[in-house]
Amino acid sequence: MTGFLQGLWLVVTIDLRQRTRTVAWYVLLGVFVLLVLAVTVLLVFATDALFAGGGGVFSTIVFFVLLLGTLVSPALSANAINGERDSGTLATTQVTLVSTTQIVLGKWLAAWITALAFLAAAVPFLAFAVALGEVPAATIVVATLVTAVELGVVAAIGVGLSGVLTRPLFSVAVTYLVVAALSIGTLIAFGLGGAAVQSEVRATNRSVDWAAVERDGVPPGEEAPCLPSETYTYPTPRFDYVWGFLAANPYVVVADAAPGSFDDQGNPNDVFGWIATGVRQAQHAPELEIEYDECAAWTPSGSIAPDDDWERPQQVYDRSVPSWFVGLGIHLLLAAGALAWAVQRTRTPAQRLARGSRIA
Amino acid sequence: MAGIEVSGLARAFGDVHAVREATFTVEPGHVAGLIGPNGAGKTTLLLMLATLLRPDAGTVRVAGFDAVAEPREVRARMGWMPDLLGSWSTLTVREALVASARLYGRPTGAAAARAAELIDLVDLGELADRPTRVLSRGQKQRLSLARALVHDPEVLLLDEPASGLDPVARASLRTLVRRLAGEGRTILVSSHVLAELEEMADQAVYLSGGVTAAADDIARAGRTARDWRVRSLDPARLRAALDAAGWGTASRIDNLGAIVPLASEEDAAQLLAHLVASGVPVSSFAPAVGDLEHVFLDLSRNGEDRA
Repeated sequence: MTGFLQGLWLVVTIDLRQRTRTVAWYVLLGVFVLLVLAVTVLLVFATDALFAGGGGVFSTIVFFVLLLGTLVSPALSANAINGERDSGTLATTQVTLVSTTQIVLGKWLAAWITALAFLAAAVPFLAFAVALGEVPAATIVVATLVTAVELGVVAAIGVGLSGVLTRPLFSVAVTYLVVAALSIGTLIAFGLGGAAVQSEVRATNRSVDWAAVERDGVPPGEEAPCLPSETYTYPTPRFDYVWGFLAANPYVVVADAAPGSFDDQGNPNDVFGWIATGVRQAQHAPELEIEYDECAAWTPSGSIAPDDDWERPQQVYDRSVPSWFVGLGIHLLLAAGALAWAVQRTRTPAQRLARGSRIA
Repeated sequence: MAGIEVSGLARAFGDVHAVREATFTVEPGHVAGLIGPNGAGKTTLLLMLATLLRPDAGTVRVAGFDAVAEPREVRARMGWMPDLLGSWSTLTVREALVASARLYGRPTGAAAARAAELIDLVDLGELADRPTRVLSRGQKQRLSLARALVHDPEVLLLDEPASGLDPVARASLRTLVRRLAGEGRTILVSSHVLAELEEMADQAVYLSGGVTAAADDIARAGRTARDWRVRSLDPARLRAALDAAGWGTASRIDNLGAIVPLASEEDAAQLLAHLVASGVPVSSFAPAVGDLEHVFLDLSRNGEDRA
């Protein structure tokens, strides 16, 4: 083989040519397009997108592509190597001049390109959402790129496991479990972890004696009669200790990576913004000493001043640290590790063989 | 430089010792038959020669290169036809061969030319543009042979190449293998159809229980008593002549003639002279089993005695 890349690309093309010749593949793509179409139509009505802009539609379609992509990708990638071994074509490739690394990486690229076809099929719908307006260019670029990378991560885990485990059925199932662990497992770990580690909140409440105000009245300019302060405690979950779990969630990675876009009131324009704000909110420790002093808020006119210093989502977003690169880093490490393990286990001349397996 | 040089080779899978002690050499221009009962370790041996499996002990040199230390050099010079039929099922025969040639680093044009040449050679012309999944077993076998030849290798390893082939294809396989050897290639053919190998191979490697038979064992086995088949136009006279010569009790008479166990070629010559002298019209006088089969059966028998 004259060059590493040339051999790699050869493996990719052989693999892709086989995939694209099966009818099932086109059926799957067709079903996918219909689903995205249905989701888009529903979203346009649900978010009133014709007036409010396409931010909500765009971000939801991206998530939908990520959802379907991670659901389909394990089935398309996790039999790449052990499936070839079963059909007897792996060994005949390994006796040629392409190396095991080229074979494994080629299989991964082919699986990734296959998954990217789903993203490509969703492009018309994403373009439609962009055409509705109010989607910043940075959001379009970043969300699409990070989604593409996440699909590559799932493909790498699938191909890697197909090189490590002997039976295709088993490696597909394990890949689904890994995807589920990242997508749902992180949420469960976050929820349960936060609930398990609880802190006590001490709330002190000092309120105006409204009964006395009714009975005696308060002359203008005077202090309101106050009741003695009451103190009570209640437990609160500490999500600030476990928010790191969420960082490893692929949906959070995409949402957090997309630059925040907020409206005049400081509310997010898209699903990305809401999720990112939620995750970043979780970084902050809850206040453990709460004091609510109604008397202090007493105004001479006899009413209570409204408490308007609550934080807007945009403020929360801006004062917290982004976490997406940590999550993306973890995913890339997982992907690289899976591929490296597969190369190591598929290398020839083979040292060890799985029980009951033939290498030819 | 020997084409294939194997010495002290051993490989175990867990506690199953597939190959325990294999030693043999095949020179360029020769076709060696790899013979052994089922489970003797033939395929394991071939996998080590094909650089796919690492031996536990011993050395394997193919086309002058060490199969463990320099697998790339070996792969560039070695063609392997596996016993398991595998092909990229949605690619056509031509595409599969072009892809294989490209995997061996041939440029696209040369790969296409080579594929066309091989399709002719193995007679798959009519199926060249059909997907490989429609091929029958024998046709896949021919495709597999073509793939092994795609990079014009110096050393050929053929694992059960004749299985599934019809008689015409077998005959052309035989001619092809002899021709390839004539061009100076080294060929190792494994088969359990010994009659098949008899006509192809000019030397034999006997593998039994993971151990190759030593040369003097083979020579001794070749000299042991064997059955000769005698046919005559006049069975009654043949029987009478055998009785008269004292072979009547030892030989078995059936409707094809007689089978006579003889200790050596000298005995055979003597018996033939006697029969002809007695006026028996002998139409055929030949060993009942081929050389390979005779040695193989004898070695297996001795192996069982030793065990």
